[in-house]
Amino acid sequence: MDSALIPEGVKRCSLWKFLLALALVGAVMLWGVYAMLLCWIKGLNQTNMNDYYGFALWIWADLAVIALGGGAFFTGLLKYVFGKDQLKYIINYAVLIGFICYSSAQLILGIDVGQPLRGWFIFWHANVHSMLTEVAFCLTCYFIVLTIEYIPLALDNRQIQKVPFFANLTHNMHSAMAVFAATGAFLSFFHQGSLGGVSGVLFGRPFSFREHILIWPYTFFLFTWSAAAFGPSFTLFVTWLTEKITRKKLVKDEVIHMVAKISGWMIFTYIIAKSIDTLYWMFATAPSQGLQWSFFYQNNPLYGKWILFTEIIICGFLPGLLLIFKATRENPTTRVAALVLGIVGVCLNRWVMVLQTLAAPVMPFDSWVMYIPSWQEVATTILPITYGIILIMISHRYLPIFPQERELNPIDTPDAPEAAELPEPAPAVVAEGQSA
Amino acid sequence: MKLSRRCFLSFVIGGAAGTALSPLPWKLTDDIAIWSQNWPWTPVPPDGAYSYTPSTCTLCPGHCAIQVRKVDNRAVKIEGRGEKGPAGGICPLGLSGLQLLYGPTRIQAPLQRVGDRGAGHWRTLTWAQAIDAVVTKLAEIRAKGTPQALAAIAPTDQGTVAQLLQRLLTAYGSPNFLRMPSADDSAEAALRLTTGTDAYTVADLDKTDFILSFGCALMDGYGAPVQTIRAVTRMRERKGTLVQIEPRLSNTAAKADTWLAAQPGSEADLALAMAHVIIGQGRFDARFAMDRIDGFDGFARMVRDKYAPRNVAQTTGIDAETITRTALAFADARRPVALHGRGKGEMPGSLKEALAVQILNALVGNIDQPGGMQIHPAANGYIQWPAVASDAVASAGMGAGRLDEAGGSRFPHVRHLMHRFIERIDQDPDAVQALLVAEANPCHNLPDSDKVKAALGKIPFVVSFSSFMDETAMQSDLILPSHLYLERYEDVPVTRGGAKPTIRLCRPVVAPLYKTQHPGDTILRIAKALPAPVAAAFPWRDYETCLRDTLAHRWSAMDSKGFWIEKPVAAAPVAAAAAVETTNHNGPEEGVPAAADAPAAPAAATAQARRLALLNDDLSAVLMADNATLSDEAGHPLTLVPFDSIRTASGYAGDPPFMVKIVEDTVLKEQDGCVEINPTTAAQAGLREGQGALLSTPVGQARVRIHLSEGIMPGLLALPRGMGHTAYDAYLSGKGVNINQLIGSVQDPASGLDAVWGIRAKLTKA
Amino acid sequence: MKQTQSQQRPKRYGMAIDLDKCTGCGSCMVACFAENNVSFKQDETNKLLSITWLRVYKITNGKPFPDTEVCYVPRPCQHCAGQHEGHSPCVSVCPATATDYSLYTGIVSQIYTRCFGCRYCMAACPYHARYFNWWDPIWPEGMERSLSPNVSPRMRGVVEKCSFCFHRYQLARDKAYLEGKRPIREEEYQTACTQACPSGAIVFGDLNDPAHEVYRIVQPDPDNHYKARNPRAFRLLERLGTNPKVYYLSSREWVRRAGDNYLENEAPGTIGAPRGAH
Repeated sequence: MDSALIPEGVKRCSLWKFLLALALVGAVMLWGVYAMLLCWIKGLNQTNMNDYYGFALWIWADLAVIALGGGAFFTGLLKYVFGKDQLKYIINYAVLIGFICYSSAQLILGIDVGQPLRGWFIFWHANVHSMLTEVAFCLTCYFIVLTIEYIPLALDNRQIQKVPFFANLTHNMHSAMAVFAATGAFLSFFHQGSLGGVSGVLFGRPFSFREHILIWPYTFFLFTWSAAAFGPSFTLFVTWLTEKITRKKLVKDEVIHMVAKISGWMIFTYIIAKSIDTLYWMFATAPSQGLQWSFFYQNNPLYGKWILFTEIIICGFLPGLLLIFKATRENPTTRVAALVLGIVGVCLNRWVMVLQTLAAPVMPFDSWVMYIPSWQEVATTILPITYGIILIMISHRYLPIFPQERELNPIDTPDAPEAAELPEPAPAVVAEGQSA
Repeated sequence: MKLSRRCFLSFVIGGAAGTALSPLPWKLTDDIAIWSQNWPWTPVPPDGAYSYTPSTCTLCPGHCAIQVRKVDNRAVKIEGRGEKGPAGGICPLGLSGLQLLYGPTRIQAPLQRVGDRGAGHWRTLTWAQAIDAVVTKLAEIRAKGTPQALAAIAPTDQGTVAQLLQRLLTAYGSPNFLRMPSADDSAEAALRLTTGTDAYTVADLDKTDFILSFGCALMDGYGAPVQTIRAVTRMRERKGTLVQIEPRLSNTAAKADTWLAAQPGSEADLALAMAHVIIGQGRFDARFAMDRIDGFDGFARMVRDKYAPRNVAQTTGIDAETITRTALAFADARRPVALHGRGKGEMPGSLKEALAVQILNALVGNIDQPGGMQIHPAANGYIQWPAVASDAVASAGMGAGRLDEAGGSRFPHVRHLMHRFIERIDQDPDAVQALLVAEANPCHNLPDSDKVKAALGKIPFVVSFSSFMDETAMQSDLILPSHLYLERYEDVPVTRGGAKPTIRLCRPVVAPLYKTQHPGDTILRIAKALPAPVAAAFPWRDYETCLRDTLAHRWSAMDSKGFWIEKPVAAAPVAAAAAVETTNHNGPEEGVPAAADAPAAPAAATAQARRLALLNDDLSAVLMADNATLSDEAGHPLTLVPFDSIRTASGYAGDPPFMVKIVEDTVLKEQDGCVEINPTTAAQAGLREGQGALLSTPVGQARVRIHLSEGIMPGLLALPRGMGHTAYDAYLSGKGVNINQLIGSVQDPASGLDAVWGIRAKLTKA
Repeated sequence: MKQTQSQQRPKRYGMAIDLDKCTGCGSCMVACFAENNVSFKQDETNKLLSITWLRVYKITNGKPFPDTEVCYVPRPCQHCAGQHEGHSPCVSVCPATATDYSLYTGIVSQIYTRCFGCRYCMAACPYHARYFNWWDPIWPEGMERSLSPNVSPRMRGVVEKCSFCFHRYQLARDKAYLEGKRPIREEEYQTACTQACPSGAIVFGDLNDPAHEVYRIVQPDPDNHYKARNPRAFRLLERLGTNPKVYYLSSREWVRRAGDNYLENEAPGTIGAPRGAH
């Protein structure tokens, strides 16, 4: 029924199957929307946050999705600025994932603030000293860039391309994409960094406070670095997942291996920096505030030294090395394992920087405070995931996201229903990579 | 006109783009933000003209001076009125007064019960109907010739309102006027025994330099809470010493220089052992003993034989050396004072203990000295009303004797025995036919409150004068709601604050909000509608006239300054007072309140000449009596004691929302009361912090949560007074445990007073 | 009003709380509620959801019966100045300038109508002095009559905190201005908690004015981030570099030690600002 919209030369599942899957994910999304409405109408008392946990699951989710969405800017940077042309086969997907991550982050922020109706005060009454202001500006600007990057992708739909105006627009936007990619990379350095700065500047919170280079705490650089390192991992992981679900090869191995190698080296170098930062914090920063580092890992039911080991060794050095060594990088099992470990690692890092920061007592007579999110928080956190899945489903079905798909999955049965219905070949629609 | 698809799309897209570029979205964004800043459901308090009204807080017996900030006709803040500067210290309850005034638990018009007692179904009456209902009932009882079947409960017997009520009963013919129990009961009895006068004592804390406190919650609402806290704090600043005797690390113990965790119930022994040391080592005030003490030698022999420190070390849990050291420090201090009255002093305690503490004061010679114990004549001296002319019915009723037997041959030293009154109703349901409860909450505040409630249930006609829908109002047949203190004039004698006998004036800050009435006027209206001999005893047009007449020359000073200090006079001897009664009264009536009618004592009987007896036959009987002990109950290995906190109001008014808000989460968690227990005791019972448990005593049981505290003696459990309300609003009702449901009365063998300080208890996992 | 302010040298309003005197009665908390229209709910036993601009903490020396000692620590907003004037933990992070540091008074303000509820300031404040309106404030019917027009009730979804009763400063300042632009006298501007305290444990005034009692008690050292020269005095978490204006006094070493974090070999009161504090 919708074959006219489906890109030419690729096979998609039946519309009914597609709609069924859409309905299933949509149902979960509706649950999330219900929770979101509860939070907006009844207020944030619907959450399990409290005056000790002003930041909780949502802020973690924000930080995590933005770190994972880092694949977009870093891949763009490599392709457009450093000229890694091979990446054109994956950049569409990286942009799409980035777009989903960043729009999700904005949605979550829209739920998280107590007065969303005047959330724009962050721009109007901006306090330039606040890391969050920096985040808001760069995040919004970069989201606009991602939208601009995503628009030509969306316009690549077969039917839209029939309109000359959109065809021309798409072409011209593709041509200008290098500028946007460079802008996006620049903005990303700042907002990824400022997100790191969000916890790093908290000099009242000895767990997350870090010393500074100029105005930026070390976490500023670590967050940018880690987003560049783990973002591509996430792009690869989602690509792998998409391949498993659609049961076809979408990106050639050499592209995957290249991204994996870059990600591996980035992870490895990041985790060395992170280790140095951690050691310095343990033995210089924290003691200067009268605190033994071990204080932050005891007397509570959750946050133990296992976190350090997990984050740095198991989810840091291990995936880094697995992706650096050719044998493990090119073995799909170890590669995917490394990707998963890396993703867990960066999410864990964002978790401790937000949640453990607030859980640890600062006043000597205060005590550890634990937190379990309410279902409304969980549902609203799952909401953007379902939204992402739906956007990927639709994009994948109707847009030529993967330039190599046709080549990797030739339709050899000429009487396949979709192909048969096509009266004449549509104009070649290839990803923007070719027009660059 | 035919609209092509392309044309339509262009129109829509163009329209959207045009709207986006117009000022409309920006204007809307701004408007929505402005709306979010002015949500109509968030109140905006109206502004107006500011003013301050000085008055007196009567929410507790402290009777502190306050000032109320007003904006037009609204009272918006209560502040303390300090000695210097416009605003002074004030307690949390005093600060929350406006929540009582404007709160949802106010009774807004006279109510008559229509459903079962306690069910909370009411019918609104006019005041005329309500007064008529009371008068009809009272006239009926009196017509039967049993006026003594009318009883009244008041929070105090001081001041014109309480005295009008007592006068109503006297004229009506009932001796059964009862004051809510307090440590005043035992202190007054001790004074009667030692000085033979009706008087009260107040410690001159502003000048003392050593306080020996027998469990008094000095930092938690004892006496006049704010003045007490301030005085003790200043004393400590002057390097004075505070010794606190208490089994639990209370806020007072926490501020003490020495905290002696004596076994509860052994305080009298401890005090007498200290007397032993002071006498034995010759550290008593010999001159004072010579001039003003009777029976010294006998007393010295008695404590020498029976109260050596090593003899009481076992029962008190305090070693002999510590007792000796503390006693000598007390005796050697320049201006020492020993204080009696457990907690806020809301229960009488044993007479022996009150006496022993008073004797300590006498031994160091601090009676009527600066920084010592001041003895003042009963505070109603300024109320000089003509004697009541009684008819035969009244005389017969008054002659029938009190139901609680206080002041009779069995319990001669005491004036009010509330627990015996309740017991009596329980045994003889016909004894009381009508009960007037004036701004007191016995159904919540008396030990074994379930029994009190049941006893009230047996009285055919219960009238409450409460301003709030409290537990007692819930149990009544008729509620005649009173103006709140912020809406009325009243004279309030200050017997717990300063060392000088003072009367403060409570005055209306706002016009009455609802169809309430001054309790004085309610009493006057009832009295005037009763048959002649009763009505004739109340010559005043209304309460305000009565107040002005009574205060006489004091009125103008009180109206401008807010207070009046009475000239010091000696207390009239009890016997003399009785003599005055007989000579004063033209009728054959008896039992007219001595305090109200006794004129000032002759000038010759000055304070300096007052003598104290340390030992005579009466005293000996009290001092040699056994301590009021808790009966041992099988299977109840622990002891539950109440504690008082300034954050939990335990008097007539319950905690307003602000006060519930500051109750610690170690005292109240959600709706559960937390019981304080030493970690070692809890470990033996296998109980952890925060765990639910069932607390049972021989009287009742309650679900509690465990709160571990190193500051409580092992083997003890502690619960705060003032929680566990079942009436009032959702901000207070159902929160915590009313300890009075778990403890019962323990009659002091020497005096008949309720000497309860705890009860045997057990804790089981819930 | 800026004119009047600039004619006089900057104030540095601060507080000294004598923990030896504080009895833990809670009057300061209630005075603050009543003065500042602080809302309340039916259940306030979850202290992590209970708005108490000034919260009284109870601390103990941890020793077993009968050597146990307790001490109460009233904690209003500390009105931190930071390592350079105005760099409070919270003010520096607020994205919308909804909380600000006044260089004229040293008071950290909160603009409820500008705050959009991101709660970054709460994450930044180590004293937990900031509270979020998780619910719409609701007064039982009739009780809104007790609200003061001097302080706006807050709407749901914004952060609030102690303002050192700033409206009282404004009233005093305006009065002084009208009476010949004279300076504000010490007793003219006092916080509600200070006045209510029965034991007189709280002293409030200008830390820049040697005539003020708070100055005499604390003896602040302007050359060392206003560290107290009185050996009994300390500030909470001074080592973090927050430079607060609330000083505490105690004669007990364990209490003074509980005011900050110390390594085992360190003694209270001897330690300077931390590394990297700014």
